[in-house]
Amino acid sequence: MTAADRSSAVVDIARLEELADIMLPAAHGMPSASEAGAVSLYIDEVLGWRSDLRQPLAEALAALDPTTFTVEALSAFLSEDEAAYAALTTVVAACYYLSPVVRDRIGYPGQVAKTYDPFAYTEWVADGLLDPVVERGPIWREAPG
Amino acid sequence: MTFRADVLIIGAGASGGVAARHLAEHGFDVVCLEQGDWPDRSSFPGTRPDWELAIRRDWAMSPNVRNRPEDYPVVHDNSDIEPLMYNAVGGSMIIYAGTWPRMLPSDLRVRTLDGVADDWPIAYRDLVPYYDAIDRQIGVSGLAGDPAYPPHDDYPLPPLPLGVAGGRVAEGHNRLGWHWWPEPNAILSAPYDGRRPCVQRGVCTSGCAEGAKASTDLTHWPKATAAGARLITGARVSRITIGPQGLATGAVWLDSASVEHHQEADVVILAANAVGTARLLLLSADERYCPDGLANSSGLVGRRLMMHPFSVVTGWWDDQVEGWQGHFGASITSYEFYETDPSREFVRGAKWALSPVGGPLNHILPMRAGNEVWGPDHHALMGRTFGRGASWAIFGEDLPEESNRVDLDPDRTDSHGIPAPRVGYRISDHSRRLMAYQEDRATESLEASGCQETAVASMIPYSGWHLMGTARMGDDPASSVVNSRQQAHDVANLYIADASVFVTSSGVNPTCTITALALRTADLLVQRRREQKVPA
Ligand SMILES: Cc1cc2nc3c(=O)[nH]c(=O)nc-3n(C[C@H](O)[C@H](O)[C@H](O)COP(=O)(O)OP(=O)(O)OC[C@H]3O[C@@H](n4cnc5c(N)ncnc54)[C@H](O)[C@@H]3O)c2cc1C
Ligand code: SF4
Repeated sequence: MTAADRSSAVVDIARLEELADIMLPAAHGMPSASEAGAVSLYIDEVLGWRSDLRQPLAEALAALDPTTFTVEALSAFLSEDEAAYAALTTVVAACYYLSPVVRDRIGYPGQVAKTYDPFAYTEWVADGLLDPVVERGPIWREAPG
Repeated sequence: MTFRADVLIIGAGASGGVAARHLAEHGFDVVCLEQGDWPDRSSFPGTRPDWELAIRRDWAMSPNVRNRPEDYPVVHDNSDIEPLMYNAVGGSMIIYAGTWPRMLPSDLRVRTLDGVADDWPIAYRDLVPYYDAIDRQIGVSGLAGDPAYPPHDDYPLPPLPLGVAGGRVAEGHNRLGWHWWPEPNAILSAPYDGRRPCVQRGVCTSGCAEGAKASTDLTHWPKATAAGARLITGARVSRITIGPQGLATGAVWLDSASVEHHQEADVVILAANAVGTARLLLLSADERYCPDGLANSSGLVGRRLMMHPFSVVTGWWDDQVEGWQGHFGASITSYEFYETDPSREFVRGAKWALSPVGGPLNHILPMRAGNEVWGPDHHALMGRTFGRGASWAIFGEDLPEESNRVDLDPDRTDSHGIPAPRVGYRISDHSRRLMAYQEDRATESLEASGCQETAVASMIPYSGWHLMGTARMGDDPASSVVNSRQQAHDVANLYIADASVFVTSSGVNPTCTITALALRTADLLVQRRREQKVPA
């Protein structure tokens, strides 16, 4: 555990929500960050998993003023403080894509287990999918020895 | 109390596990020292909601980012590629992708065929029986008959599913008249040897909780220990010791409380990967016998590091292909641009492997291809790309250069205060030409497969997963570190089982060859045990 992990820096949730809504506004059929409840519902979980992000996130929040914040200002912030930028974008994205509403809209059920027939390949082999490759013949190079 | 082992193996990863099992099953008294611990599959993050956050920190591929006590730092300020690895029983196989290609005959003869680098002192045919044996031990899923290879034994298991993306790119290549084949993977497509098959969750590079992906903690260590091998975990080796005859006598190691121990042995086998092994040889310098590092009379220990420049070309279709799902591993492979073509501005070539693209965070905070986009356009980008893509992972053959090297960092140390390895590595102009050509062809491949959009992530730095070449094999002690049996020229009872011994890198993922060579080395030790010199 590093010093950053142990940080008890206070994260201003209201300020984070305002920034998150500019980063992820309602558009193209997707809810805004606040409509999805992204920050309010998931921030504790995300910072619980990644306590190392708390300190640089607090630094990002101190540096960025929501009343003047824009997407362009966010891009510029990357070159000013890479660690704080990474913390802000990671936390906002992680909160947003934990939301079941958001996951449902993008069609993402999470990484799920699937079953399949391991012998299904016999069908596409029989259907001739590999035939053009086989018909070209060997493409490896002979080597002496 | 100390006891003397027949064989001491340093490192319980891919090569160490394979060598230990073979030697123990043939009656050798084997001790292995491993700095990491047994992996706990219940702690693997792939089934947890924080998976994509975990792989950026506690489950990162970089030991410097994970920063666990068993991880030694790898200083890479002067390297174009960051070395990646995992330190535990099973080694880097715990987080590897599991693609399992063999080398090709030409890979071992690049000097003769292409006038570059050096030939290996062994040939493809020397490896074939060991490839066949290791495929059975590991449980490889694949399909025989690939015309990119000389004919060989069938794989023990059927190939893994192509997936929607694999099927589309296969058809695209058929239209182009280009090679493709189902990729052989060290991942079970059906139950095998008491292990369960892959469930296509797509989280292979942060550990396979199912145990479908082969790693030696599953495939070799249980059998090795059942045959009597002793595996000591949490044991960090600080140096190999040398006796008056100039033979290795064992190794000094530190436990987690930093208490120093000495393990004596008749034979020492290094299996700590091409960074860890070079580091240990350099740490074992001894004023009396080897002031410049153990087994280093050639001056080549640590030099000729190869890491496979790596590019990713991603393509997106206009419909869903569940691009986050599927083994990570590869569904299909292409060797269309693998062998030398004199009309190109480079020799040798690259292997392509088609892989999934990951979950939402990997799309918007990409570790591979793509850009971060925020504001309303973020949703437009996600709508266009999420779940709709697949990536060609391109591994270019990396020709050896003595200036690309591992040495000891003068300042940084691991948690025991042992000097850390320092990597200096530059991607050559030759590699840049080779990769640019491959990236253009891979873009054509995905366009011909119906992708609406493509992106290239060229020679990404976070890609040093293939570590090779730092103690090369050869017949001449002046220009190589080990002979064709992987025995150090300078120290008759010291062997190197890992990819440090690679003479050239080939353009394929190395672990199939690493393990075949480790099995061969162990097998030759068994066959020649009566002739083996040991310390008095
Ligand atoms: C993310 C990732 C993906 C990969 N994907 C593929 C793939 O798809 N296909 C493929 O072929 N290869 C792949 N690889 C590479 C593959 O994992 C390695 O080639 C292989 O594991 C190397 O085997 P090894 O025995 O040389 O070393 P490792 O498996 O790395 O094992 C070395 C062991 O030595 C131990 N060790 C080191 N130093 C000391 C010391 N001083 N004291 C005690 N113990 C020590 C380490 O803790 C470690 O457990 C991948 C690697 C990574 C990181
Ligand atoms: S996709 Fe298969 S091999 Fe990969 S982690 Fe899941 S079960 Fe294991």
